[in-house]
Amino acid sequence: MRVIFIDDQGIEHSVIAEAGDSAMRCAADHLLPGIVGACGGAMACATCHGYVADGWLAMLPAPSAQEREMLSGCIDQRPNSRLTCQIRLTEALDGLTITLPQSQT
Amino acid sequence: MDAITPLMPEVDFAYDEVPNLHELIEQLRQHGPVVRVKYLGAPVWAILDHKELNQAFNDLENFDPSDGYRIIAAPSMGRTLQTMAGDEHRVNRASVSALFMPLKVRSYVEAMIEPIAHELMDRIVGQREVEFVQAFTRPYPFTVITRLLGIPVSDEAMLLQWAVKLIDFPWDPEGALKAKTGFDAYMQGIIDARRARPMDDFVSLLVKTEFEGQTLDDERILSFFRLLFPAGSDTTYKNAGSLFACVLADPEFRAQAMRGNKDREALVAEGLRWQTPTAMLPRMATGNIKLGDAHIKKGDWVLFGITAANNDPRVFSNPRKFDPSRDNRELISFGRGVHFCLGVHLARRELETALKIVFERYPDIRLKPESKVEFVGGVLRGPRELWVQPYGKA
Repeated sequence: MRVIFIDDQGIEHSVIAEAGDSAMRCAADHLLPGIVGACGGAMACATCHGYVADGWLAMLPAPSAQEREMLSGCIDQRPNSRLTCQIRLTEALDGLTITLPQSQT
Repeated sequence: MDAITPLMPEVDFAYDEVPNLHELIEQLRQHGPVVRVKYLGAPVWAILDHKELNQAFNDLENFDPSDGYRIIAAPSMGRTLQTMAGDEHRVNRASVSALFMPLKVRSYVEAMIEPIAHELMDRIVGQREVEFVQAFTRPYPFTVITRLLGIPVSDEAMLLQWAVKLIDFPWDPEGALKAKTGFDAYMQGIIDARRARPMDDFVSLLVKTEFEGQTLDDERILSFFRLLFPAGSDTTYKNAGSLFACVLADPEFRAQAMRGNKDREALVAEGLRWQTPTAMLPRMATGNIKLGDAHIKKGDWVLFGITAANNDPRVFSNPRKFDPSRDNRELISFGRGVHFCLGVHLARRELETALKIVFERYPDIRLKPESKVEFVGGVLRGPRELWVQPYGKA
């Protein structure tokens, strides 16, 4: 499966992904600019913020109270903001498209 | 490896100044990723390599930090986030995390952090030589916290005396408990005042914060404050000293510090790696686990060698070179996992702002030529002194 990350310059990176990984881990493994994931996926650092593209958002489980709390403190939060460490990749998400914010580059 | 005898029995990583810490770490690393060293007079484990430390930070079954902190910190600091686990930790952390999120912290920079840096720079106007730790790096992050809390400026010095003693429990239990009494009485007054008449500060927000229906009582707020000073002030001041020592020593880094935000971010990240302020932090193992070649047993004390992992040559090539252009995404200075440093964004913005304002105010500032900078401390680490000449050549 693949995940498409669009960086803050508008460049698309279509990368091979492993089902079971988080979207944050996938981006970090490919050294994409704009995802840090400093805490390692514990919803504790707010450095893996991303914008999920139209159509995909509804396919993801809704964010937990803790994720919503963290997102509200991220720079440039939008309705399609998610912490990518909380997006668990499945085959059904093949082609998932996430735009990375400028604030994390 | 089950040896009880520590390697380097002549070095005590709690008591000694270990100016040559990174040389010692490289010697220890030859014996494996997890070794025995001496700490507070007794043998303990030390985790040195990045892979094993990352694993340990994320392994809450075998390395739940709360057990250890209850012994070494709770008597003087109370029930802080460090001593909590599971749901209690999650809810209490979420109650205060809004204050430390990137958006909020960005709003502090212009409103509070830059003015504090300017104030401290005002105080050295006209001086040819200044000891920069006392003049700037130490008071700077401390003042950020007191201003965030809305402490009157006239009380700052008094509060500092208590705040610095709170984490001293393992070294000076009596002094730490005495400091707690003074600190609590003072801060309780502030909490009472804000409950009666809220203002625009941290304390006012904390008395009314709510997450999943839970609010914070006075003891929870007090214990959060007791943690705030050592966690947010001591660490940042040590690292600010190390950062300026490196940047001032090299014309290229000085020029980089004067360029832009991205340049300063890179310098700060490398400073956090090259001389990590939380060099080695003690934890108590909460399970039996084989880590590297070491058979760690429940109840054993373990030093998390953060500065050792940040200088692991397998992750950071040529690690003792201060190189702001390197990829620092694997930096482990702020820990990993659910206890990841809550103040990460505040700390980074403080350090970046320090570089910006200091060079703006004193573009010719330099290290005093004949003075040697010595980095000391095995637990919290930074320069003992940092003599500078704000106007360059006298």
